[in-house]
Amino acid sequence: MNIKYIPIYTDDVEKQLLFFTEKLGLEIYGCKNILFGQECTIIKTRNPGVFILVLKQAQSNTKTPPIILNTDDCLNDYHSLKTAGIDFYNEPEYSPIGLGAEFSDPSGNRYLLIEERIYS
Amino acid sequence: MEYLKILKNNNVIYSGTRSHKLTLQSNTDFSIKFVFSGNENYSIGRRNLSIYPDSFLILNKGTNYSSAVDCALPVHSFSISFDEKFMDDFKNCWQLKDDTLLKPNYNNGQENEFSETIYPFKGDLFFNIKHLKYQLDHGVQDEILINEYLHHCLISYFKLYNEEIFQKAERLNFLNRSTKIEILRRLNLAKEYLYTNYNQNISLGDLAEYSCLSVNHLLRTFKQAFYLTPHQFLVQLRLQRAQVLLKNTDYPVNEVVSLIGFECPSSFIRLFREHFQTTPLKYRQSA
Repeated sequence: MNIKYIPIYTDDVEKQLLFFTEKLGLEIYGCKNILFGQECTIIKTRNPGVFILVLKQAQSNTKTPPIILNTDDCLNDYHSLKTAGIDFYNEPEYSPIGLGAEFSDPSGNRYLLIEERIYS
Repeated sequence: MEYLKILKNNNVIYSGTRSHKLTLQSNTDFSIKFVFSGNENYSIGRRNLSIYPDSFLILNKGTNYSSAVDCALPVHSFSISFDEKFMDDFKNCWQLKDDTLLKPNYNNGQENEFSETIYPFKGDLFFNIKHLKYQLDHGVQDEILINEYLHHCLISYFKLYNEEIFQKAERLNFLNRSTKIEILRRLNLAKEYLYTNYNQNISLGDLAEYSCLSVNHLLRTFKQAFYLTPHQFLVQLRLQRAQVLLKNTDYPVNEVVSLIGFECPSSFIRLFREHFQTTPLKYRQSA
């Protein structure tokens, strides 16, 4: 398990993307539907395998974005973490990019465990 | 590595290399049969079905079948039998949770019967089986984890069943639902004939006769259900199996061409390039 995506909310996606690409010199990697069913832009960071997700902030959306952990086998990690006493919000669920399950730490920070699957 | 794992809840998992013939036997529980290399032939009544690593077969409880291995390559079989109670609990749980996953009334009115045919081994079922097999091959003993995988194998099988049976039946241009189901059952006979005899010369007449449809009826309804003509389906299947041979064997391309039932290497290379945007040799080098 390792950190793969760091989500950032913004009310102006274009402005945020310009900030990342022009000010910080980062590169747009692509777009994917990873969180909450909404399309988000993926920014490649200088840390190999770690990406920033730029998400449109809906006015009513006050949720803190979760830290996204990458796994090769979601069911195995889900089982190991549950056995270690971690409470998940839900059982592993399928999405267009693979299988994921969400849990929180004692301070209420949220983590999303994702196994990305290439179906083609 | 060969193992037969019987869980406390009577789910059974078998993995091993087979080279023998199994005589007629009755399937004790709903089972899913895979092969990870080579191919295995099953006989169910008068039907002969071959499964390859890109496909799998399901057998309902009580089905009489025999199986045989007639293949130059070692055949690695993997099968799961689900205990009836485990299946019932799963169905109850998922029907309550999401009724789109299982519509039992579609199964010819027999709630515990699934269409016994060959299905493509793809999507989430492929990943879930791969992970389960990896864990078992590495000696995992935790039955809660194994059952979690089995539960998810059923979720992904039901999703696939929904795509392969319900959605395809819905595409058929008939008003009556039972007609749709019956035509799809016959189209699945055609599909399994193609899966099994993909490397032979198949005439439309033979295919129509096997599926109990007229040639015209077969052509029209096959295209409605699969969005491909039987010929396009066959070419796609042959190319897919050529990929496996190119990746896993050292057979020269010309031999691969004849093994998958193509007669002309140049048309094979042209079709391969059209489908996969690469040549067979480049594919082999990068695989």
